[in-house]
Amino acid sequence: MSKIKGNKFGQRVRPLIIISLIFLLICGVAYPLLITGVSQIFVPYQANGELVHYHGSTVGSHLIAQNFTQPEFFHDAVGSTSGVDPDITLQQAYAQVPRISRSTGIPTDSLIALVNANVNPISKFFGDPYVNVLALNLALIKAYPSVYAFVE
Amino acid sequence: MGSSEARKGSRITSLSRALLDSVKRLSPFSLIANPVMFIVEIAFFIVVLMAIYPVGFGPLAETGERGFYATVATILLFTVWFSTLADALAEQQARNTANSLRQLETQVISTIVITEGWSRKYVTKPSSEIKRGDVILVKKDEIVPMDAEVLEGIAMVDESLLTGESTAVKKAPGDVLIGGSRVISDTLTARVTVNPEDSYIKQMAKMVESSKRPKTANEKAITVVLIGLTAIFSVIILTLIGISLALRLGGDLSVFIALYVCLLPTTIGALLSAIGLSGISRLYKRKIVAKSGKAVETAGDVDIILLDKTGTITVGDREAVEFIPFEGWDERAVGEAAFLSSWYDDTPEGRSIIKLAYKRGYIPKEINELSMSKIYNFSATTRTSGIRLTEVNDEIRTGGKENRRRWWFSRKHADKLVRSTPLTEVEIMKGAPDAIRGIVDSVPMEFDRITDEISSAGETPIAISKDGKAIGMIRLKDVLKQGVMGKIADLKLMGIEPIMITGDQPLTAESIAHEVGIDKYVPRAKPADKYDIVRAQQAESKIVAMIGDGTNDAPALSVADVGLAMNSGTEPAKEAANMIDLESNPAKVMDVVMLGKQLLMTRGAITTFSIANDVAKYFAIVPVLFAATIPQLQALNILGLGLHTAVLSTLIFNAAIIPALIPLAMRGISFKPANTMTLFLRNALIFGVGGVILPFIGIKAIDILLIILRI
Amino acid sequence: MDLIEISWVLLIIGATAAVAWLIAPYITKIYTHESSRIDRIFDPIENLIYRTIGVDKNRGMGWKEYFLTGLSVNLIMMAIAFSIFLFQGVLPLNPQHFSGLNWNLALNNVISFMTNTDLQHYAGESTLSYLSQTAAVQFLMFSAPATGISMAVAMIRGFRVGAKDLGNFYLDFTRTIIRLLLPLSILVSLVLVVLGVPQSISGYAVVRTIEGVTQQIAIGPIASLTSITQLGSNGGGYFGANFAYPFQNPSPVSDILELSLMLLLPTALIFVFGRLLGKKGESKPVFIAAYSMLGINLLIGFLQKVNLGPGIETRIGGFFSTFWTVISTSTNTGSLNASLYAMSPSAVLSSFMSMFIQSTPGAVGTGLIYMIMYVILTVFIVGLMAGRTPEYLGIKITARDVGLIMLAFIIHPIIILIPTILAYTTGAAAQIGIGANAIGFTKIFYEFSSAAANNGSDFFGILANTPFFNIATAIVMFVGRYAPMCILLALSGSILGRKREAMSGLRTDSLVFAVVLVGSIIILVLLVFLPFLALGPILAFFEGRMNFFG
Repeated sequence: MSKIKGNKFGQRVRPLIIISLIFLLICGVAYPLLITGVSQIFVPYQANGELVHYHGSTVGSHLIAQNFTQPEFFHDAVGSTSGVDPDITLQQAYAQVPRISRSTGIPTDSLIALVNANVNPISKFFGDPYVNVLALNLALIKAYPSVYAFVE
Repeated sequence: MGSSEARKGSRITSLSRALLDSVKRLSPFSLIANPVMFIVEIAFFIVVLMAIYPVGFGPLAETGERGFYATVATILLFTVWFSTLADALAEQQARNTANSLRQLETQVISTIVITEGWSRKYVTKPSSEIKRGDVILVKKDEIVPMDAEVLEGIAMVDESLLTGESTAVKKAPGDVLIGGSRVISDTLTARVTVNPEDSYIKQMAKMVESSKRPKTANEKAITVVLIGLTAIFSVIILTLIGISLALRLGGDLSVFIALYVCLLPTTIGALLSAIGLSGISRLYKRKIVAKSGKAVETAGDVDIILLDKTGTITVGDREAVEFIPFEGWDERAVGEAAFLSSWYDDTPEGRSIIKLAYKRGYIPKEINELSMSKIYNFSATTRTSGIRLTEVNDEIRTGGKENRRRWWFSRKHADKLVRSTPLTEVEIMKGAPDAIRGIVDSVPMEFDRITDEISSAGETPIAISKDGKAIGMIRLKDVLKQGVMGKIADLKLMGIEPIMITGDQPLTAESIAHEVGIDKYVPRAKPADKYDIVRAQQAESKIVAMIGDGTNDAPALSVADVGLAMNSGTEPAKEAANMIDLESNPAKVMDVVMLGKQLLMTRGAITTFSIANDVAKYFAIVPVLFAATIPQLQALNILGLGLHTAVLSTLIFNAAIIPALIPLAMRGISFKPANTMTLFLRNALIFGVGGVILPFIGIKAIDILLIILRI
Repeated sequence: MDLIEISWVLLIIGATAAVAWLIAPYITKIYTHESSRIDRIFDPIENLIYRTIGVDKNRGMGWKEYFLTGLSVNLIMMAIAFSIFLFQGVLPLNPQHFSGLNWNLALNNVISFMTNTDLQHYAGESTLSYLSQTAAVQFLMFSAPATGISMAVAMIRGFRVGAKDLGNFYLDFTRTIIRLLLPLSILVSLVLVVLGVPQSISGYAVVRTIEGVTQQIAIGPIASLTSITQLGSNGGGYFGANFAYPFQNPSPVSDILELSLMLLLPTALIFVFGRLLGKKGESKPVFIAAYSMLGINLLIGFLQKVNLGPGIETRIGGFFSTFWTVISTSTNTGSLNASLYAMSPSAVLSSFMSMFIQSTPGAVGTGLIYMIMYVILTVFIVGLMAGRTPEYLGIKITARDVGLIMLAFIIHPIIILIPTILAYTTGAAAQIGIGANAIGFTKIFYEFSSAAANNGSDFFGILANTPFFNIATAIVMFVGRYAPMCILLALSGSILGRKREAMSGLRTDSLVFAVVLVGSIIILVLLVFLPFLALGPILAFFEGRMNFFG
């Protein structure tokens, strides 16, 4: 009697478990692997986090702020949600120009021009224009290699 | 003078009875049937306790507020009482209308015939003691105590009290006598066909007591919503009290209770039962007895009404309007022949032919011969009727040479010879054209043309033959009931489709239907066809209403969603129906539908109004809930109510709206026939949007009044 | 809001609704089993699945069997995911060597993801292994919306004239994933990768910055998770910072795309509703009602301006953050591209309204289920005013139907209000530093409203990883998810084979009804929640606050 009951229970539970496992494999394993494979082949730069290379070594990601602290660099805005907000507004960038100018001797006009040149081109369409801090600092190094010679 | 005073007196008695009744109903045991009001009463007791012993309520009450608690408790008590008053008034109204109908039966003292062997004994009894099967003797000027079937005698009976029809009706053995009608000539012996307790009028008694009346499906569903809302508001208030305690917000229990009672759907909770009862009362006032509350509601849902042409659309009688002679005859000849053939025809049509002939002056010379004539009564096989009599010759008549000579003769010796001279006998017959065609040798060329012409105009042709020759036709016209076209237009406007049922031939049916604006009709219908029509419509998911009186109608009446039987109809028809019209006016089926709709609308309108009212009450009470600790909430006090009067103003409004709406609940909301969505939009604006706005105004007005009074 | 911002709102919502309208016929065919050209690709896959499961695909289910099958499948899935969370420390694909979760967090997590809530009392990047993020989280993120859509479709079937059963759960679930969620997710994932969302399983990148500091960059299979997060009204993030984290939302373009995705399927399902009924017109009032309430939510949400500052990402800005918050709660997705703390009291008030109404248009599946509940309740309350016994789709509404609807309606406030009180009386609120004031009350009230509405956004995040909040919200999420489904399926099941009336009363496919529906929903919801809103966001608004920091 209980054996039949047990079988019945098994018969009822079996499809539940199987369907769960099938979709665990499809959605939880096959699907992310498929996306990973395709992305790694076709768009490896984005798929790997838009890593930025400088002088042959990886120095960060365009999308992740890295808490610049030295006065010669543009700093990230502090306190935002993610803690890794990679962008600052133009105002925030301009506000840092006197400090950078003081510590590097680069004229403020040039710094402002550099900031303007590095404004994210699409940002103007969506509200306040902003600049990527890492890109801005790399542009700074590139424009004034002698000033930033201390960077290895 | 005296009667109006008496009426005033009885009104005062019934009002005081209702008042007494409403107080009795305050008992929690009888109030438990109304969950919303029961809870308000519990709230009342709690606030009374707060007034008596505020210390027991800890931080939720303050000793200094005892006066306030007493005031709140008083308003709560009034809220409950207004509800029981609405119930009591509605019940009193229903009882009064029911009683006035019952009087038609019960006031009569009747003579009972007791047959013992060869002898007969006569006993007088009040009608309440008469049983089914008793034989009663009703003399001239006496009232028929209850429905009965005539056994002996022929008499004229006045049914005007019941049917509104002023013409007296001839009753012969086998005919049905309606309880409450009056015999105006001769004496009748009749057998009672109902028991006093069977009588529909007496069944009403069961329907008019709100406590005993079973809730209809619709009322049950509304009650479920009300209980659901009550449960939600209970959770809300308990949570608010919890938050007040947990966050030490210092709210007062009486204010929470006030908010709770104001949020509860007290308006509809108080009036729901009264609305249903009043709906039944309104039917009673129109002398219609519904066997259940459900039938009244279903009437509001009707999609299709089967209308018997006769009695509903037309007054039932056709009226002769024209005599049409065939080639070779003149109008007078046809008119006089029609007169003679109709003399013994006691149908309304027959009488209307005589009337028309009189009017036109076509009074035949043979009028004196009529008593010696041979009568051919109408029979279903021949479908003709007529007369055979001795003809009085007349010059003008163009029947033939022989006739003319005889006329001269009779003219000369008119006084003595008319009776004594044996003259030629003639046979005048009348009937449906095809029936007459069957008994004449040949018909003139225009016979079919005139038949078709009359039929296609929706009128009835009656052919007249004389000695086997068709001589002409009578045009019978249906007479429309007064106001029927407007009523049909209203029905169609409200999305209800009338279907006309008639025994007429298709052309006639089409014409009448067209004239009154009915698109669907069933011609050549036999009473038994109604059942199939009802079933066919129901198969298309339609809700069907119909009228019936004959035993043949009983099957259809029993399957129809709304079956209205005529009181003059047979017992089986009345038993099968779910409503009976005591006035036996079939056109009232349309009123029944409107009453059903009115009942549903009233219920929906007050429910919506009740819920919509809550918005304003929140804005009135929430700002002062935590007045001491969260003064910022005063920003929500968009009405600018006084800090100390806001709660009382809202509570008073909440209570006062109940008696304010009692008249509406008992009268039903008035509406002009319109399509469903127009009606809905109108009601939604008045009771929905109005329901949101009105309390803002009402509460503010009461608040101003309270502030003035305090100063 | 300026003109440009209003244009953005109209453009994005209009475009999304248009796409939803375009894909509705395709989605409808998934459930009518009408043959189409793509059967050649999908049929073999599905048939293989049915054979493996051992399911007869021609057998329909009654409401009880349908619901219980769905619930049981979900319970099994929860058990699997629970084990993965609990034992991720010893399971593969754990390059960061995260340890297993404690039982109550694991329980909260599985219920959270299975019920389409995605309330997260943890930060994914520092808590979950790749296996947990994919095999547990991502798997449940497909299964939850698939369950919700299947239940909604089953409910609709009961209202169909001539329906004999509610369909087969296994089939609906399978076809939803295979034909709808998976293809859409693949497409969207690839677009997201192109827009800059990483997709990798090779471990977090460790770099040396130009200042010489070592930085760990948390990459992983993010795109594949992010797409279904938004498409399936899930809302859970790979990262604790959710869509504020640049890897989930790298640019304004990705932001707009991801925002639109939240609206897509809930809206499409509204159009599918009428098509499945065979009465396209019935979608009209539902759409009008859902979108006008969405409009009202937006108006409330934008009442106070949110400026760039703490809690707002620079690339997203105050306007798009507010817009996202409103859309996210309106669809009960619950994802955030800014901190809730940075939101204005009016934006939070708008979120509360969404979580109370739940069909603006609400989460995919459940939004429609709730909307039908409101429609029937409204038809019943106001329908009498048309002078006829209320009926919906020709079905007379009986006392039992109204009872079921009232039950569904009453459960929501109960599961929000009771634990809110408990949080204070048990001291659980004080334990995580939540004060007895407007701000504190708002946060606690939001936590349970979000859990009950299966929304998932919250003020607490990792802060609420306490046994009380983990267990209380788990219960609330479970009841909030399955109770209304069960009730509406019971209602739908009882309608099967019931007599239909001639539909001559109140026209539910009319504009008038849509307007009345909106009025009635707002009044009913306000009646239930107004005093609590008054103690929370409304009070915060009157106190002149601009955000919820502090």
